Amino acid sequence: MVFAVLAVGVIVALNFFQKQVRNSFYLISAPIQKTFWQAGDKVSDFFETITEIKNLKKENEEIKLKIQLLTAENASLVELKKENETLRAALNLGLEKDFKLTLVQVIGKDISQDSLLINKGSKHGLSEGLPVITEQKNLVGKISEVYENFSKVMLIFNKESSFDAKISDEEIYGVVKGKGNFKIFLDLVPQDKEIKQGDILVTSVLGGIFPNGLLVGEIREIKKSDLEPFQQAEISPFFDIGKLGNLFVINPS
Amino acid sequence: MLKTVILLVLIFYILALAQASFLVHFQIFGMVLNVSLLLIVLINIFENPQKYLGLWSALISGFFLDIFSNRFFGFWVLILFLTALFIKLIFRKHVRIPFITRT
Repeated sequence: MVFAVLAVGVIVALNFFQKQVRNSFYLISAPIQKTFWQAGDKVSDFFETITEIKNLKKENEEIKLKIQLLTAENASLVELKKENETLRAALNLGLEKDFKLTLVQVIGKDISQDSLLINKGSKHGLSEGLPVITEQKNLVGKISEVYENFSKVMLIFNKESSFDAKISDEEIYGVVKGKGNFKIFLDLVPQDKEIKQGDILVTSVLGGIFPNGLLVGEIREIKKSDLEPFQQAEISPFFDIGKLGNLFVINPS
Repeated sequence: MLKTVILLVLIFYILALAQASFLVHFQIFGMVLNVSLLLIVLINIFENPQKYLGLWSALISGFFLDIFSNRFFGFWVLILFLTALFIKLIFRKHVRIPFITRT
């Protein structure tokens, strides 16, 4: 009985000092955790290659076709980029001027909660709510909890995650919500707006959570019903959760 | 006893670390195998129901899982402790294996 009361007391007390306790443990464990993470990454890659060998041929053909299309597109984009750079310089609107990027490394993952643990915290200038992106500017999530040396990132799949987004190059706005278990969907798109499979979704500054233009994903399946006031769509994100290594946190400068 | 507890602390610390950083890469239908829970179940099944090592293991293991989880402190301690307690009670009251002597 005495032991039980003592145990409950200790556990309740730990909840008051959880940030300090967790931070100390993460600090001690970081080198081992990093090694485990890298080992897991390599082993899972190996098994993934074996299981996916059947699809590789088909995928290879599709990719070759896509490369041809992208090469053609790239040529035109290079021209556009030059034009864009000139305009940016003229207007003084460079992204790096608006944001300060902090390079972070993933060292842990909590599948059941759709969250990641990264190796930088309040000591490095991070704070709650900052967006986290990949090198390719794909939105991964936002910082949900900050410790001194580490931070927890709530992934966009998390059920509590919701933010405004728009279809790239079109004025169609909606809300992206997490469904848990690595699924996200687009909601609150008016019925009269036409969205199609393959449309690219980017963040919108409307909700004030994320900056404009971060890549969210591609529309996979549209769910439209006359009974509902809005249409929904399943989205496949651009990043692979198993392959996340280095990420960037956007710090407003 | 102290030696055993130190050994358990080390084992469950490593398992919780592996759970958070290594095993998360291997998902089956979006779920990850909880090795700590599995070990707690096995310890409590094979331990003599009159002894308490299984319950201690549950507390230690729960603490480390709580450290690396996003939930409030005590969530995993409670789950693992109740699991261990449940197995102990079942084995104490309802299971008799006369030809096996438990250690």
